[in-house]
Amino acid sequence: MTDDKDIIQAVKANANQGFKLLMAKYMEPVYWHIRRLVVSHADAQDAAQETFVRIFRSFDQYRSDCSFKAWIFRIATNEALRLLSRNQGKTMMSLDDTPAVTLGMKADEYFDYSQVEAVRLQKAILTLPAKQQLAFNMRYYDDMTYEEIAQATDSTAASAKVNYHLAKERIVKYMNSNEA
Amino acid sequence: MKHKDMKQEFDFDKIGKQMPYNVPENFFAQLEENVMKEVGQTTEAESGSRQPKAKSFKLTANIIRAAIAAAAGLALFFIVQKSLPNEEPAATDDFNNVELAFNNLSTEDQDYLMEVYQDDLFMDSETY
Repeated sequence: MTDDKDIIQAVKANANQGFKLLMAKYMEPVYWHIRRLVVSHADAQDAAQETFVRIFRSFDQYRSDCSFKAWIFRIATNEALRLLSRNQGKTMMSLDDTPAVTLGMKADEYFDYSQVEAVRLQKAILTLPAKQQLAFNMRYYDDMTYEEIAQATDSTAASAKVNYHLAKERIVKYMNSNEA
Repeated sequence: MKHKDMKQEFDFDKIGKQMPYNVPENFFAQLEENVMKEVGQTTEAESGSRQPKAKSFKLTANIIRAAIAAAAGLALFFIVQKSLPNEEPAATDDFNNVELAFNNLSTEDQDYLMEVYQDDLFMDSETY
């Protein structure tokens, strides 16, 4: 897997070639991050595509005092929230909102209902407030540090840690309950 | 793994990172292609291929400006023409008076005037 520093250098040397390296590393993680938030494949596809176009166009704005991964996930998160806001007729969803996404509402043909426990886990995650959802997803699925989560969500590492632990507790409670 | 310390009944490890979501075949390759197509267009546009477009836009703008100026000039001409009717009868009256005065002259005087003014270009240009 190409190191982020090498990707940044490659983009600076040759935008198109460097960007291909960037996508090779981040295309799937970014898509899945967005998919977990918006659920529908079509929406995730739109937001992921827009994310990479934005990354390309605003690459000059990246500052090395922030983790490259966190910067990318920040853009992806914003695109996902923008899409959810549009779907809900809002101007822009904030991280304090609870995304009104349910699996029943958004599931499409690219959804496997046969994985009962995995479906329940996603349902549990989708009941969480956005900040907890993001902290949990970034830590659990993307192995991000609390510092990176904080940079991606514009908060502090301590807050990211609290949100992650609150999310885990609520998920466990949900999974131990009889809720389907 | 960060979630191993969970002592509750539910065990995250049983599910791991499994998700009930999937994607169409070759989706990621297609997505990459779509993105490159979109940013490729941006790159081309930013790297100068947009210049001829800008030039042709400038040319079109100039043509439009010239057409607007011509139309405005034509409109002004008609407006001025419309405002002239009050003067035209006066000019016609002047001409009739001159003609009447000319007719009242004797044949010799008429012949003399015709001889003097028939080659007067300045007088002709005034008529038109």
